[in-house]
Amino acid sequence: MSSESPLVVLPGETIDPSLIPTHKKNPLRLGPGLRHIPPSEIVPTVAGQLVVDHRKTSMWIEYNGGRYIPSQGDLIIGQIARSATDFYYVSLSPYTPNATLPHLAFESATKKTRPQLASGELVYARVSLANRHMDPELECVNSSTGKADGLGPLKDGMVFDVSLGFARRLLMAKSREEGKVEVLEALGEEGLAFETAVGRNGKVWVGSESVKTAVMVGRALRETDEKGLGVEAQRKLVKKLVREMR
Amino acid sequence: MPLDTSAYSLALLRVDGRRWNELRRIHAQIRTQAAADGSSYLEMGHTKVMCVVNGPSEPGPRRGATSGGGGGGGQSKNAEVAVNIVIAGFSSVDRKRRGRGDKHILELQSTISQALAASLHTHLFPHSTINISLHVLSQDGSLLAALINAATLACVDAGIPMTDYVAACTAGSTSTYAANDEGADPLLDMNHQEEQELPGLTVATLGDSDRVAVLVCESRVQVSRLEGMLAVGVDGCKQVREILDRVVREKGIKMIQEGTVERGVGLNDMELD
Amino acid sequence: MPREAEPSANEKAFLLKALQDEQIRLDGREFDQYRPLELTFGDEYGVANVSLGKTKILAKASAEVTVPFADRPLDGIFTIATELSPMAAPHFEVNRPTETEVLLSRLLEKTVRRSGALDTESLCLVAGQKCWSVRVDVHVLSHDGNLTDAACFAVVAALRHFRKPDTSMENGVLTVYTPAEREPVPLGWLHSPFCVTWSFFGEEGETALLDADWMEEQVRVASVTISLNRHGEICQIAKLGGVPVEAVALLQCTSVALTKVKEFSTYLDDKLAEDAKRRDKGGFMAELRAENDRIVG
Repeated sequence: MSSESPLVVLPGETIDPSLIPTHKKNPLRLGPGLRHIPPSEIVPTVAGQLVVDHRKTSMWIEYNGGRYIPSQGDLIIGQIARSATDFYYVSLSPYTPNATLPHLAFESATKKTRPQLASGELVYARVSLANRHMDPELECVNSSTGKADGLGPLKDGMVFDVSLGFARRLLMAKSREEGKVEVLEALGEEGLAFETAVGRNGKVWVGSESVKTAVMVGRALRETDEKGLGVEAQRKLVKKLVREMR
Repeated sequence: MPLDTSAYSLALLRVDGRRWNELRRIHAQIRTQAAADGSSYLEMGHTKVMCVVNGPSEPGPRRGATSGGGGGGGQSKNAEVAVNIVIAGFSSVDRKRRGRGDKHILELQSTISQALAASLHTHLFPHSTINISLHVLSQDGSLLAALINAATLACVDAGIPMTDYVAACTAGSTSTYAANDEGADPLLDMNHQEEQELPGLTVATLGDSDRVAVLVCESRVQVSRLEGMLAVGVDGCKQVREILDRVVREKGIKMIQEGTVERGVGLNDMELD
Repeated sequence: MPREAEPSANEKAFLLKALQDEQIRLDGREFDQYRPLELTFGDEYGVANVSLGKTKILAKASAEVTVPFADRPLDGIFTIATELSPMAAPHFEVNRPTETEVLLSRLLEKTVRRSGALDTESLCLVAGQKCWSVRVDVHVLSHDGNLTDAACFAVVAALRHFRKPDTSMENGVLTVYTPAEREPVPLGWLHSPFCVTWSFFGEEGETALLDADWMEEQVRVASVTISLNRHGEICQIAKLGGVPVEAVALLQCTSVALTKVKEFSTYLDDKLAEDAKRRDKGGFMAELRAENDRIVG
């Protein structure tokens, strides 16, 4: 990753060719927000921060959009809209076409043992197919191992809406270093017991024995997101919330 | 034409000769329309309304197709209560043209729909619709109350399961809004003339509890008047409920006697005279 | 027509559990606490921008001279127009009023117009021939619940802030003065009504909340909107169906509503006074000033 100050690009801008990573063998991989115009031009299609990874010869644009566009491999939290003969219709975000989730795409699910989900219930799922011509498809099982890997129906708990960019930051492998999000760790250090599931579609599910804890986690997440708090401010916010609620 | 309220304090009689706590004559019939699933005809004084209930019925193909995504809910788990009100042109003194989008009528429809939806067991009929259509033949005050009562009766006739009757009536006060006189009397069941001149409200309660399903006040009145008016109104609703209940029972007895309905178990304790 | 997006079953269950078992709201407010209410006036007279948490409403009052209605020759015309566009929430469509919009405009109509807050007789210029037509346009910019209370506040604020051009009648000639000729005059205002909406939760509506946000509105089983002015006069009550609520609870709601209305009233008076001070450039001395205001571009 480039260590310089963030480079902000606008749609249609030309990208300095020196920034484009090259490798002898590996082809260049373009992430979201970039478009390749043959023969050799690469043009941003959204406004955001250009991120270049020389090691993986990939580049993409980091942006905080308002609408979730499914892409393969994303973990999402969906809401069951209704059930059809052999799949569920799942709503990823309001007012968008539903995704489909086959009845048998759950861990060790057969015709008889499959989970029965009513409309309005939540599932944590992976996007298994996404392209612009078809409705997205979901799965709650790793198709190669047959294991759930933590995916499946979400019972109880509460869902909080956050921005897409924040959800992405939460989902980063090193969310503290790269994403600058520490609010969940800070809450955990305060001795609060809770579990979370972050959906790439801007939803965070928080489960906890105590209603108070879940509310607190939700408020901390929302406030961090809305006010764009830094790491220090996040710690301060957590301290404040814990004081308030006790 | 202003209403002379000064006479009230002399004899404690209202313009139509009632005392403060008297209802007007309520006459009601059920099963008046052979074609409908449930129907009723109700008079409260000179306010006359008819009601026809159809359903619960599954929707046609047009409604069933969910439009592109929409909300997360998908199909509804409860039956929808659709209310349609037609106010006949000849129902009041001045012939007022009311368009289809008349907000007052839309508000009445929404109120009746929401009030009945809370009492009817709509969860027993998922994805279906209960159609209630109300016709106003004559208006003389307490219109909303009469509509609610008629709709309740028709729903009973249609055999839609419900927790209890939703009975409604109006209550008013002899004080004008500005006057804070403590001597003002509450009035039960207002007619058109009284509604024009005096503050009032419409109350609907569930069964013989004190729980208020609908409370609509559209006139300016002192807060201190509210308690008295509400108490009188709730009490009036209980009286109305008794009357509605009698209508249903009498019709039931008649149907058994005529042999339309088989005399089943548990009906023996009903007085068949 | 797109339907309103419903919250998931988990969210509904959690919200109710939090309210009923733990007595907490998701945003940490007390049950009878409003979200921060903010009012700003525009540069023009009669523009009020109200925000109640994330709910944002813009109301603009305007006036023009027209012919009065034939059946009310001595009254001016006063209309309130509401608009819920897709800007507020995606399930609203342009030119197709939803039930929410109809009920909102009826409530404003009953609260402000029918309660006689504006003296419509003072809008009459020439009996039967000319009168002012005052119109308030309510635009919902962002919808996060409790539109009624915010919209009502915005309408009242806009009307009280509004100034209509001054007029005079001489020998049967009606003159309307521009603001440069004569200072515009405020409307004939009689009292300021405000709406307070309670939402009820639970099987029998035993939990009552003030100022529900959108999520709470979607989960509630009944609501009652009470309009009052600071003198303790009810202008309107609307509990339009929903789960039945104990009559005694409704009376309590009304008395709490009265205290809230008094707070609103004071807040609006303060804001109006503040704005008047900002506009007043120094009274007599300003009038004597010879120089013109320079517009620095």
